[in-house]
Amino acid sequence: MKYRITHNTVYDYSQPVGLCQNEAKLSPRDFWRQRCLSSQLNITPNAMDYQERLDYFGNRVAYFAVQQAHTRLVVSAVNEVLVLPAADQQNVGSKVSWEQVQNILTGANLSSSTGNGYYDLLEAKQFMIDSPMIAVSAQLADYASLSFSPRRPLKEVVTDLMQRIHHDFTYDPAFTTVATPLSEVLAHRRGVCQDFAHLAIGCLRAYGIPARYISGYIETTPEPGVPRLVGADASHAWFAVYLPDAGWLDFDPTNNSLPYDQHITVAWGRDYSDVTPLKGIAFGGGQHTLSVSVDVLRLE
Amino acid sequence: MGSNVEQAVGNSSDSFSGPDKDFGKQYYATQLGSYDEMYADEEKTRPYWADFFSSIERLGVEELERRRHEIQRLLRENGVTYNVYGNEQSQARAWRLDPIPLLISHEEWPLIESGLQQRAILLDLILQDLYGEQHLLKKGLLPVDLIFGHQGFLLPCVGTIPSLSSCKHRQLTVYSANLARGPNGRMWVVDDLAQAPSGFGYVLENRTVMTRAMPDIFRETQVRRLSGFFKAFRQALNHLAPNNKDNPRVVILTPGPLNETYFEHAYLSSHFGYTLVQGDDLTVRDGKVWLKSLDGLQPVDVILRRVDDSFCDPLELLIYSRLGVAGLLEAVRRNNVAVANPLGSSILENPGLLAFLPRLAKYFLNEDLILPSVATWWCGQAIERDFVLSNLSRMVVKPINSRNKQAIFAANLSTTELDLLKAQIKAKPYQYVAQELISFSTVPAFVDQHIEPRNAVLRNFVVSDGMGYCVMPGGLTRVAKAKDEKTVSNQAGGVSKDTWILTVKPEKPVTVWTQLERNGVVDAVNEPLTSRAADNLFWLGRNIERIDLAARLMRTVLAKLHETQEFKDDIDAAGLTILLQSLTQVTGTYPGFATGRADLFKSPEAELLSMVKNSQKPGTLPSNIRSFYQAAFSIRDLWSLEIWRYIDNIHRRWFLKVVNGEVTINQLPKHIEELMTNIVAFTGLTTESMRHESGWLMLDSGRRLERSLSLIALLRALLKPDLSDILHHQILEALLVCTDSLGIYQRRYRSMIQLPRVLELLLQDPSHPRSLVYQLQQLSEHIAALPRDRIGTQLSMEERLILKIHTEAKLLVVEQWVEYGKSGLPFELDQLLVNIDSSLKQISEVIARAYFSHSLVPQLIKDTAVEDEY
Repeated sequence: MKYRITHNTVYDYSQPVGLCQNEAKLSPRDFWRQRCLSSQLNITPNAMDYQERLDYFGNRVAYFAVQQAHTRLVVSAVNEVLVLPAADQQNVGSKVSWEQVQNILTGANLSSSTGNGYYDLLEAKQFMIDSPMIAVSAQLADYASLSFSPRRPLKEVVTDLMQRIHHDFTYDPAFTTVATPLSEVLAHRRGVCQDFAHLAIGCLRAYGIPARYISGYIETTPEPGVPRLVGADASHAWFAVYLPDAGWLDFDPTNNSLPYDQHITVAWGRDYSDVTPLKGIAFGGGQHTLSVSVDVLRLE
Repeated sequence: MGSNVEQAVGNSSDSFSGPDKDFGKQYYATQLGSYDEMYADEEKTRPYWADFFSSIERLGVEELERRRHEIQRLLRENGVTYNVYGNEQSQARAWRLDPIPLLISHEEWPLIESGLQQRAILLDLILQDLYGEQHLLKKGLLPVDLIFGHQGFLLPCVGTIPSLSSCKHRQLTVYSANLARGPNGRMWVVDDLAQAPSGFGYVLENRTVMTRAMPDIFRETQVRRLSGFFKAFRQALNHLAPNNKDNPRVVILTPGPLNETYFEHAYLSSHFGYTLVQGDDLTVRDGKVWLKSLDGLQPVDVILRRVDDSFCDPLELLIYSRLGVAGLLEAVRRNNVAVANPLGSSILENPGLLAFLPRLAKYFLNEDLILPSVATWWCGQAIERDFVLSNLSRMVVKPINSRNKQAIFAANLSTTELDLLKAQIKAKPYQYVAQELISFSTVPAFVDQHIEPRNAVLRNFVVSDGMGYCVMPGGLTRVAKAKDEKTVSNQAGGVSKDTWILTVKPEKPVTVWTQLERNGVVDAVNEPLTSRAADNLFWLGRNIERIDLAARLMRTVLAKLHETQEFKDDIDAAGLTILLQSLTQVTGTYPGFATGRADLFKSPEAELLSMVKNSQKPGTLPSNIRSFYQAAFSIRDLWSLEIWRYIDNIHRRWFLKVVNGEVTINQLPKHIEELMTNIVAFTGLTTESMRHESGWLMLDSGRRLERSLSLIALLRALLKPDLSDILHHQILEALLVCTDSLGIYQRRYRSMIQLPRVLELLLQDPSHPRSLVYQLQQLSEHIAALPRDRIGTQLSMEERLILKIHTEAKLLVVEQWVEYGKSGLPFELDQLLVNIDSSLKQISEVIARAYFSHSLVPQLIKDTAVEDEY
């Protein structure tokens, strides 16, 4: 599947901003089932200083500074991405139980694995412990426990957990902000895709299972007969879990689905703080307002 | 742990006993079971301590006590302070220094020195590996969760610390370790300080004071000098500059005057001649770091940081930090600036690393650790965790991420607390380490006129020297506040000691200044004035004038009050009323006497006392004195010691005697006189001993501007219409006294005090340093001298404004509006003064906008997901 994603961000300021430095993680990364065919980041006013690099997790980062006075900043990311269908998850023959995964990763005999498998495990361990926005707690472990029945294959555990989150939690954009702690999401059973991804990751880490956060987009298909609304889409988030015998598998708790070919991955990390799409420090500016629009267009 | 039973070690076979020397060695009580620095064994004093103590005993206890006082006096005078967190009343606490140093023999020192060098090299290699190739993780030499679980491992910094092979010098520039001696007499490393070690400024100050207060003892004991270390330090920072730049600009980045060791930041900045900056003094443009100075942006090559690394860049690290510089890490990444120590080095302060250092020393160096660490178990491994859990009561537990390095003494916990701790460790074992609880050595300390043992920790300092490391032959020894206290901390009020490394041959002192720069030429470098410093100086000038006016007016009021109470004259009472009202108006301490309540004028004492005592109310004397002091303290590095003493006196004595002391109305004049003397000394010294360049221009502009505003306010408040002749005369006289102009008036006019002449003198006399025209004249000269990029021939806004009001004031013909024999300000003149007042305030704002560019407030902008936009 081929998509063109247009992601516009506009900041309007009540007073001039003299200088702003920004970091954008808006360009989709390449990996085995996705290729970014073209990528543009248009910045108005022109960014006098612009530099691209890869971050620690291999995500694409653009650093840019707007060094002339401005009262409006527009960042427009246009990317064309080819998404290959994920291996049909039904066919991923992962039978390894969650206890086995836990043992492999927490046990001392990590070094008994060899070659690439060993490095994969080492990498996976980074996603097993607390991260800036996800701290494992007894409450998380408690919520997760229903899914972790003895000797259950991990894939089943995660699928069950995803279904439960989808069922138990209300999607409520009015309830949370980026800063809402996980404990509140859990207590009130409300949140948005970012919260649900964090929640699932926290539940899994509570049992010593590596899980990572993915930011990206999802193609929304309108109801039959309703025209597609340009810009109505949003950036999206889900999570992936590490299965030693199958690699990283994606799960989308917001939609209770296994991403197949409608999820476009931009970046991954330990949690949202590693993959914030756009952040910056502006000097001056007074009050600011922000508007964001995302359009995911299927090309073929 | 040592037992608490104390034993007086008397009757030893040495020769120091005698009735005059009964404070010294033979009454020195040590603790059983722990090691004491003085003793080789229970009976025998180490020879170098014996020599030292015979010198001390020759002084006698009274003399030693006198020297202790002298030390405290010198420290006080030099303004050596230590900020205590959470204590707003007296932010800065005087630094304390014990007259008895810690002695380390010349036989033992090489072991400590080589141990520290080895450790610094090892930590440097670990740092480069973790932020580079990560072989240690890949080979399983360090556990992933130990590193990733520590908040000091900053992912954005990976790839920004070059490897040894590519840059040919050590990346860990400054390193410091806390050492203590275990029961067996060996020195142990308690912890490593690797991101922004503090203390070596205090060491230098301690040494300076010790050589002054104890010159004889210092001479008799052969002590290694410190200057070589400071020379190496300067060299190390210069060599960090990217692209081998000659004469690089080095700045010291401080979190600000509230930081606990701010004194040291300012002290080092003066010592080395590096500009002291806060985060908002720097800016990143084109991927380079610049200093915002009064003369525009100046490039910065090296940053010695005293800000924790995660706070250094709000863009890539801790987003809510206000202490850092947005874009700094990007500038580092492009090798446009060097930061010492590198961003990310706080990973080395992870206490869990201690457990792995012996293995890593073998791996990297094929050596054993020369200085062992305190036995440490990281709970992230099952065997170690189980061991810790079953031996918890003998352990000190440390969460690897605690910011303040809190240590939990498991032995002091209740059963419930112990269970809770166990549960916490079991839940996230990788976040805890446990260390063996050991009893550290005690050292002799002079306390309450006798010498007694105290637990001590020695902090040593190491600086990179090309491929190796140079260790300071000395250090900061700190002893516990109370006798049986095991933890030593400045926050808890410990005492410091100088550390004397003994030598057999005397050393020649090296001065830091003898060294030539790379090209062999020393340039005269003019350190730029940061716009923040300019801002502080400007406000400092304004505040000192506010204080001055309030003090003078208060003095006049008090004299009038005294007269009124003595002679009970109605005219005096009416004059007092006007003076009291003007006091409220001029200082802006409403409602005060402006309410017109008769009872207030009858007994004004309470309100007057509140004006000199209440530091919470804006406009009062203490509130202005505090603003003055805070502005001065924020630029502590710019003051000479002498000027600083007067700044300190102005603030300290007023708060001591008036704000926090018992003071009556009758005693006030005395304190006001003292305050005014200190102000005169301060302004005199600044005029005489500061170079009249940008910094002084700012200070004096602030003074001139405020003095003009004060004068206008005073005239408008005092010159009431329709007063009787006698009252009018009284008020004019008070006006002349307040403006320090009575004598000048009398000499010049030799006649009755008359309003037109008074106004002429106060507004227009260009040679009278208190007149309005004089202030405006000075101010226009200062403004003309400020650096600016001129576009064409156009005058700047502030130049226009000052030209306009200066001309208006000069063109004024007082007698055109003011009649003899009539009181009050005529409407036209009042309007003129109002206009001048508002133009002056406008000038203040324009200057702030043009020169204090740090005032632009940074804000975080973040693309929150669309779905969160409600």
